[in-house]
Amino acid sequence: MVASLVALRQPDYGYALLQRLAGHGFPVDANTLYPLLRRLEDQGLLTSEWNTEESRPRKFYRTSDAGEQVLRLLLDDFAAVQASLATLIEGDPR
Amino acid sequence: MTSTLTDRYLSATLRSVPVARRDEIATELRALIADMVEGRTSTGEDTATAEREVLTELGDPAQLAARYADRRLQLIGPTYYLAWQRLLILLLSFIPAIAGVTVGLVEATVSDNPAGAIGAGVSVAFNVAVQVTFWVTAVFAVLERLGTPLNLPAWNVDQLPDRPVERDVTLTDVCASIVFLVLLIAFLPWQHFQSVMGAGDRLPILDPALWSFWLPALLIVLVASIGLELAKYRAGRWTWPLVAVNAVLNLAFAAPAIWLLITDRLLNPEFVDQFAWLRDGGFDTVARISVVSIIVITLWDVVDSAVKARRSAR
Repeated sequence: MVASLVALRQPDYGYALLQRLAGHGFPVDANTLYPLLRRLEDQGLLTSEWNTEESRPRKFYRTSDAGEQVLRLLLDDFAAVQASLATLIEGDPR
Repeated sequence: MTSTLTDRYLSATLRSVPVARRDEIATELRALIADMVEGRTSTGEDTATAEREVLTELGDPAQLAARYADRRLQLIGPTYYLAWQRLLILLLSFIPAIAGVTVGLVEATVSDNPAGAIGAGVSVAFNVAVQVTFWVTAVFAVLERLGTPLNLPAWNVDQLPDRPVERDVTLTDVCASIVFLVLLIAFLPWQHFQSVMGAGDRLPILDPALWSFWLPALLIVLVASIGLELAKYRAGRWTWPLVAVNAVLNLAFAAPAIWLLITDRLLNPEFVDQFAWLRDGGFDTVARISVVSIIVITLWDVVDSAVKARRSAR
């Protein structure tokens, strides 16, 4: 979910996003990603528009402002978890 | 690129997706499938195989639809499970028993067929248990789907059980004892009406004259023993008052039984006449073995309860 929000700062449609994520080491199944995109859109974290110029109609998703805020919170959380883990691994003396 | 396989997959998926978004999801999925198929054919696969593989990868349409509709693929989830389990155990602990006993008693008074009454009671208890389980589960499954909050009070430390759960008296032991006592109680009226032994006629095994006093007295002792079992389970262990009551009840059962056996007043004389080996001295052997067994069992039970009370008092 975080990866999708990051990747969709640049608008894209489902299948292309799937391949981009896979290229960055996030193998996601289409049957998980598509419903996820829907849900994020319902929650207002993504905006979407149909692009009918190409050979087949595609729905392009983009991270919304609200999505950006949530994303920042999530990234902070991740950073905090990572920092905690790092200190734990180094055996932080207390 | 429309093909029957993709169309069938789409219609299977869309069947259980909210109507309002059906068209949109259809267009999106169709494009996805086309893209995925294209990705495969570009590496030299033929279209039909690629389509099969893509649809296989997308998986069960029902599951995909459930993900789209955000539907729960579980009957009762963790939010409701504990409430469901507790309510079910609570209801099953007394409703089937009450229904079974009531029907059994009514049946026994209406028709003079005690054995049939027990059967009717057991079957009603079983049916009631199945019904209770079904309806409680059905209601919780609906709640799970509606996401209704239960508004149960939050757990707090005051709800902790008073005693540590380790108990000397386990539920299994108590149930086994009660079942045995109930069977024994049921035996007394049953033997009076039974026609299993004897030439098809009703032939009481015990002397019918005993019904004037001794058999009702023994029944009272047996019912009191059930009460003792329940009290013992409530206390969780043998206590000295329980040991005393147990000894009294044991004595109240053993003494009359032994006395009746020795004075040859327990069995129905007609019943004894039916069986040659009982008549020809066999009864003495039976009586002797029974008296010894009763004494051993009674002593063992009383000593055992005393030993356990002593151990848990420490």
